[in-house]
Amino acid sequence: MKANNMENKIVLSVAALAAALMMSPVMAAEHAAMATKGPSTNVSWTAEQMRFVANGDKNRGGQLNSEMFCASCHGDAGVAPTGNWPSLAGQRAEYTFKMLKDYKDGKRHGSHSAEIMQKVTQGMSDQDMADLGQFYASFDLPALPTGVTFDAAQADMSKAVIKRGDGKRLVAPCQSCHGSNGEGAVTDTPALAGMPPEYFIKTMQEYKSGARANDVYSRMRLIAKTLTDDEISQMAHYYAGMTAK
Amino acid sequence: MATIHIDPLEKRWIWMVGGMVVIFYAVQIYYAAVHNLHPPSNVEVIDSAKLHLSEEFAEDKLGVKQEADGSYTVTMVAARYGFYPQEISVPANTPIKLRIASFDVLHGVHVPFSNMNTMVVPGYVSEVHTQFVKEGDFPMICNEYCGLGHDYMYSKLHVTGAKS
Repeated sequence: MKANNMENKIVLSVAALAAALMMSPVMAAEHAAMATKGPSTNVSWTAEQMRFVANGDKNRGGQLNSEMFCASCHGDAGVAPTGNWPSLAGQRAEYTFKMLKDYKDGKRHGSHSAEIMQKVTQGMSDQDMADLGQFYASFDLPALPTGVTFDAAQADMSKAVIKRGDGKRLVAPCQSCHGSNGEGAVTDTPALAGMPPEYFIKTMQEYKSGARANDVYSRMRLIAKTLTDDEISQMAHYYAGMTAK
Repeated sequence: MATIHIDPLEKRWIWMVGGMVVIFYAVQIYYAAVHNLHPPSNVEVIDSAKLHLSEEFAEDKLGVKQEADGSYTVTMVAARYGFYPQEISVPANTPIKLRIASFDVLHGVHVPFSNMNTMVVPGYVSEVHTQFVKEGDFPMICNEYCGLGHDYMYSKLHVTGAKS
């Protein structure tokens, strides 16, 4: 039964990937319109929910990572093979769980890769999500994918906002929420250290335009809107360089 | 019974401190009784973890609403690190009811030059009634330490002249 279930999941995942890659822009627009109604996420961090994610099984998560083809974009050990996908190593389990849930519920949308993930997550149970969360969380923060580099000069320029924020724009220092080592914080504030710059910039631009809208009370969207494209790029290089040896 | 030695200077200060405590209580009781000033005491529970899924504090329900009697109800959320919506506008000399809840930890709301000042305790809805007498732009400040970004936690309040 269990093996059967797993087989179903593989078939579903492959079908989902294929479908997502062929998806028409019309369907994407429909999805986006559907998801803008109601709360930005259905996940709430009650004690039971936190306990559920904490009890995820990282070994089973590791199996899912290869069987559901997560690894083809996010790597065997959570380090993305190229710069346009996020590395998930060292990511907070709660964050991974929330994202998977948001994809499944249609709450995270607004990009082609989100459409792919929406399809992939349709066959996932809450338990699968908690297990994957624990699997990625069991690694150290990731190094950059091979061939991806960061620009130290740009990284230096972003330090003012990251460490001191900007009161005039109502922007708190990045590190007050995401941690001084970019390791994230309770419950679902994501780790950013070692994220490929290309993916970081894509995400921030999606927050800025409002295409990505699964942050409760628009907290990230409001910050991203005040940042210039240059600042976003500088921050990307700062966080990318954080795990460099 | 054994007695302990207390220096006369020390004894004098014990009386001083005792006297000060009595004076402080007297001042508080006087203002509470005569001027009807007391801390906000609205006790109303809410699940802070599910705040965004609640009816009243859902993301699209926040903001300023005019009631049938001409007064205003302001619904806000305090979350690390800001008050949402980040910018609100209310008329001067009009009854305002602020209803605010925390999404995470203990926060406070304080508007300078007004009596709007309350704690926002997770799990409870805080309610304050006030009227802003001075027009202008004011910050809404968090005055309960809530984390590393606490000193950046403020939002903008515009008190407008025209009573609309």
